[in-house]
Amino acid sequence: MQTIELSKVRKSYDQFVAVNDLSFSIEQGGVFGLLGPNGAGKTSTIRMMIGITVPDSGQINLFGKPFERKSLNKVGYLPEERGLYKKMKIIEQLIFLGELHGMQAAAARQKAMEWCKRLEIDAWMLKKVEELSKGMQQKIQFIAALLHDPDFIIMDEPFFGLDPVNATLLKDVMLDLKKQGKTILFSTHRMDQVEKLCDSICLINKGNAVLQGELKSIKSGYGKSNVQIEYEGNGNFLENNPLVGAYNNYGNYVEIKLAPGADPQKLLNMVAEHSRVNRFELMEPSLEEIFINTVSKSNA
Amino acid sequence: MHNILIIAKREYLERVRSRSFMIMTLFIPVLMFGVTVVPTLLMVRGGNESKRMVVAAADRDTAEMIRSRIEQEQEKAGSPDAPKTARRGLPLTNFTVEVSTNTAAEERTALTARINQKQLDAFLWATPDAIAARKIDFVTRDTSSFIENGVLGQIVSDALRRHALKTKGLKEDDIEAALQPVEVEPMSPLGKNAPNPQTMFIATLGIVMVMYMTVLLYGINVMRSILEEKTSRIMEVMLSTASAKEMMAGKILGVGAVGLTQVGIWAATAVAFVGSATASAGMIKSVKAALNPQLLIYFVVFFLLGYVLYSTLCAAVGSMVNSEQEAQQMQFLVMMPMILAVIFITNIFQHPNSPIAVFGSLFPFTAPLVMFSRVAMQPDTSPWQIALSIALMLATIYGMVLLCARIYRVGILMYGKKPNLPEIMKWIKYA
Repeated sequence: MQTIELSKVRKSYDQFVAVNDLSFSIEQGGVFGLLGPNGAGKTSTIRMMIGITVPDSGQINLFGKPFERKSLNKVGYLPEERGLYKKMKIIEQLIFLGELHGMQAAAARQKAMEWCKRLEIDAWMLKKVEELSKGMQQKIQFIAALLHDPDFIIMDEPFFGLDPVNATLLKDVMLDLKKQGKTILFSTHRMDQVEKLCDSICLINKGNAVLQGELKSIKSGYGKSNVQIEYEGNGNFLENNPLVGAYNNYGNYVEIKLAPGADPQKLLNMVAEHSRVNRFELMEPSLEEIFINTVSKSNA
Repeated sequence: MHNILIIAKREYLERVRSRSFMIMTLFIPVLMFGVTVVPTLLMVRGGNESKRMVVAAADRDTAEMIRSRIEQEQEKAGSPDAPKTARRGLPLTNFTVEVSTNTAAEERTALTARINQKQLDAFLWATPDAIAARKIDFVTRDTSSFIENGVLGQIVSDALRRHALKTKGLKEDDIEAALQPVEVEPMSPLGKNAPNPQTMFIATLGIVMVMYMTVLLYGINVMRSILEEKTSRIMEVMLSTASAKEMMAGKILGVGAVGLTQVGIWAATAVAFVGSATASAGMIKSVKAALNPQLLIYFVVFFLLGYVLYSTLCAAVGSMVNSEQEAQQMQFLVMMPMILAVIFITNIFQHPNSPIAVFGSLFPFTAPLVMFSRVAMQPDTSPWQIALSIALMLATIYGMVLLCARIYRVGILMYGKKPNLPEIMKWIKYA
């Protein structure tokens, strides 16, 4: 079953087209990346998916049915603009949001305590939000989106402002949810953070889908044209080399984008002549590279 | 509906538990007491100082008559068991009166000089010319005590009348009988059980002010708390599960319940206070008269209608603006009709059937205050007007809720600059 399906969805504000005939769908249990630069129309798309705004045209199916508000009890949403009631106690806040998602107060309290324990903030449950650090507030927000055990989880810039320890903590939670068969949508412009999590992506720019499909096939379509070399010795081989398209030199570690049609084997031989090679790896381009490439192409 | 109740419950509990609710509940009655009772007490007490005054008249009889009248009035006002009607207005300053028969111009200059040197506080220049012209100079440094000076004018007129009648040969008793003032007592056609109009006036004014302040206060509360939710960005989390309409309705319901709780606490305290007080002080009597069940029902009805109407407007405004300053500019505009109604309210009390009162009681934005005032001051206000007023308010509320919900829905997600009117019109048209 498709958890969510958008077909030819369009939204414009006055003359400005925020989302232009966008279509994509997410299989149940899939992890999907809705990617795009700032202002591409990601948040506008999400808002239509959960009924905050209504599309001008096109169709949105949620859990296999045309959108209805009742379905929202099975959706968890972490908005990009984080917000909580500053003066409210953590536990009361979570119970309130749980109740809004159709939970009983007692069940919401139970779940909230479990989550707080899991995310290591149970000592703060009776504090007010304004007494918490930014990172802790993020965790609360995260719990608020997951408290009611939703089948479809939407996370807008989930790792924004998190330190590496907390980011890992949340990533593990997400992986666990994926294992449980939840459908997850990440919306972000930070590719590196979701690259390892997503099964498929849709890259949008200025309201238009510019690239979409399974992440693996997209990457392999770009071929292995990147080389990472760890070397000792001099890096002169990088200069005026017809095999090297572009490079990023870090001293004894270099990332190279091969020139079109260049044979990586030749490059290896050439480097080995001048320096000692500790590692030579042929790689797919990173999602970020594809992103920058595609976006700048579509802007051109 | 479920979501509305959850949102209202949160709003209610958070507010009622807050420190500011407790402070306001205590502070407002103290403030009301402060602005009404304390100045009255101070005004009454103000008469205790003692001053010297000279009455100058060509003949000793006239001067003596004026002096004795002033002294009699002071005595009457001073005695605690004096009937209220005997006091004309407020008690006079305690004057020690001297009599002079010298009405030469030099004497006036001399008296003025004494006042300037503070040896004397005032003199009354009752020369025959002045009496004939019915205009007597009262030279005093306290020219601004107009109420007292007015009372003095009445006393002097009274003294001169007595003197004139006496010179015509009337006996002391006859003069006293002829000049005895008559009181006109207003009586409602409903009979003796109807409360005293003067009492009703004060009591109704009090209740109307409570209604005005509560609607104003809680309307602004709705505006501010929406603004707060907007700036704290919690809107989007809520919107992922509750609709904008539910959020607005829940907020208005929750804050309104807090308002009713607060007024309820005040009313209960007032009832308890009145119930336990055996004293017959004017204030308490008037409160007692006003607390009849029918009027309380009208109060609740008009308060709720007024509150819902204004808080809906406030919700729309709260969703449009981005800062406290912007909100303050807008809230004055929104509250304008209420403020106008309060300016006209005493006029409406006195003429509950005047065209302006009828218009004000039917115009939905002033109706809560004006219609309630009419009903309170005139229990036989025609039922169809009351019904029409309520119907018009309900219709306006319905329209405003639809309109404001559309503004609210868009406004809460818009950050940055304050929208202008054409932009708001566009918001209303959005799907």
